[in-house]
Amino acid sequence: MITDNFKKNFGDINFFGKQLRIALRNCGMINPEDIYDYIYNACGYEALAKALSDMKPSEIVEEIKKSGLRGRGGAGFPTGLKWEFTAKEQNFEKYVVCNADEGDPGAFMDRSVIEGDPHSVIEGMLIGGYAVGASKGIIYIRAEYPLAVERLYKAFAAARKEGFLGENILGSKFNFDIEIRLGAGAFVCGEETALINSIEGKRGMPRPRPPFPAANGVFGKPTLVNNVETWANIAAIIIEGYQWFSNIGTEKSKGTKVFALAGKIKNTGLVEVPMGTTLREIVYGIGGGIPNGKKFKSVQTGGPSGGCLTEKFLDTKIDYESLAAAGSIMGSGGMIIIDEDSCMVNLAKYFIEFTQSESCGKCVPCREGTKRMLEILERITSGEGREGDIEKLERLGNVIKQASLCGLGQSAPNPVLSTIKNFRNEYEEHIKLKKCRANACEKLVNYYVTDKCVGCGACKRVCPAGAIEGSLKAKHKVDLARCIKCGRCYKTCKFGAVKKDSGILEIMQ
Amino acid sequence: MTSPKEILQFKKEKAKEILESKGFFRPKRVYVGLATCEIAAGSQSIMDIFQSETGNMSDVFVSAKGCAGRCNLEPTVEIVEEGKETVKYVSVNEEKARQIIEKHLKKGEIISEWVVK
Ligand code: SF4
Ligand code: SF4
Ligand code: SF4
Ligand code: FES
Repeated sequence: MITDNFKKNFGDINFFGKQLRIALRNCGMINPEDIYDYIYNACGYEALAKALSDMKPSEIVEEIKKSGLRGRGGAGFPTGLKWEFTAKEQNFEKYVVCNADEGDPGAFMDRSVIEGDPHSVIEGMLIGGYAVGASKGIIYIRAEYPLAVERLYKAFAAARKEGFLGENILGSKFNFDIEIRLGAGAFVCGEETALINSIEGKRGMPRPRPPFPAANGVFGKPTLVNNVETWANIAAIIIEGYQWFSNIGTEKSKGTKVFALAGKIKNTGLVEVPMGTTLREIVYGIGGGIPNGKKFKSVQTGGPSGGCLTEKFLDTKIDYESLAAAGSIMGSGGMIIIDEDSCMVNLAKYFIEFTQSESCGKCVPCREGTKRMLEILERITSGEGREGDIEKLERLGNVIKQASLCGLGQSAPNPVLSTIKNFRNEYEEHIKLKKCRANACEKLVNYYVTDKCVGCGACKRVCPAGAIEGSLKAKHKVDLARCIKCGRCYKTCKFGAVKKDSGILEIMQ
Repeated sequence: MTSPKEILQFKKEKAKEILESKGFFRPKRVYVGLATCEIAAGSQSIMDIFQSETGNMSDVFVSAKGCAGRCNLEPTVEIVEEGKETVKYVSVNEEKARQIIEKHLKKGEIISEWVVK
């Protein structure tokens, strides 16, 4: 079995033993710059040879359809259907595109796949090209991934030399070659129609769909776009068969999903699990739980398009539908664990700041709406929140979701809406009590000296604002009017006498 | 006419020969992570040490690899020996790399404190 190599090598470790690696089957197992290692040790190009020898293009499309594979880039559209639509088009010229425009903050699985196993992606694209009748492949990748790009070029050269790319591949009549287009790192270019515009040399702005890329894609030709992780699954499905793949996962989500596990978690890293694994198994099993004795607060999936789930959702089974029902999304696979030291309002602000600056500006709801949402969140986190702000955010969010053209705008409000849903009390505390329970919103936090103070004067010496008063050996005091909240006194005091807190002031002083 | 499958079979045999001539089938195989993340954690100098200091060891083959996804434990180095469990060293630094060569590769002693469980 194609997944056995990894199991044999790494299966004895807790972190890896609980995973099932299909897309990442060769990552960390072979030399990515040696095609012979791939051919000899990783069943390399066996799927391609099988496809070319034994299968008609339509049979391959059928195989992928039956496998139940869905797009791993985020939306989860059935991959086989996409293939079928492209295959059906009558056109002499078609394109197969690999979307490697990995833009979610904190996501790095695509980079990891390309850097660790470039030939699997190439082989997947070859099979896709054969299945839909395309002879041109394009990998759209960000220029920020120089090593991945370098490895791809090396892999192309080796594959051409061995006759896997070029004309009459493996002695068949099939011709296919791949080129690279470098993206400049705009988040919106991960959206397939914006990506196509960018490939054509135009501004990376989404187009309305229909027409779908399958009919009218790169230079108006039928185009099949799949992301890196999707491509990396193809060869495995062809070798092992659709039954094998469709036996893994849940009823509607088959196979595995790769997550980039990050944030307040003991074991950070790349995790590939069968669909249907629960969030709890990832956080406490593979991830090893929260470090430093802190309490779990939330898990964020789907990056700037996703949402934050609370403890009560930890037993949610991971698949496209369940995560959506819980109020988040699968997305491309970012998973950030949040502990009690993070403020949910601040986190929502961070994500909307990201989408706001990445909005291409084509439609008003996305361009203006995210800006207004950001302004409100900025107000709330700096203590200027007003009655009615939460409702305003909800209203804006819903309009943006409904009235935006592309996935960026349609999903941009998700982090805000899901935190309002699950952490509404934190929003209310910020607005009504000027309190940030995580003490993370700088402007709401105040520093003050407690009775533990021995009057050593250390805080007074480091304070850049001259905001600390007190004579030697007497209790010191912070002048809140002058304090610029730099936190130096807090870090300096050896006696733990400086505290920070937010909320109503009188209690503190 | 030879089918693509048969052609691949030839290529596979050729691949084996090429790997053989590179030393791939030596008794001990060392994998050093060389992905962007690993390199950022300092794996390039670890690779250099393994390459230069095992250069004259006829039973050792050193290979690059991508990352297996242990972000917080990089750089990582695995030692594969046929029939034995793969030994996985994590958070390797230059000093550890030298010790792994001296103890593990030369004397066969696994340094278990540095091995991930
Ligand atoms: S939703 Fe936003 S990113 Fe998408 S097309 Fe409209 S303005 Fe551009
Ligand atoms: S550093 Fe701490 S103990 Fe010393 S004067 Fe400041 S608050 Fe008091
Ligand atoms: S937080 Fe900074 S500015 Fe404020 S009292 Fe402490 S050292 Fe001074
Ligand atoms: S991305 Fe390579 S190990 Fe974290």
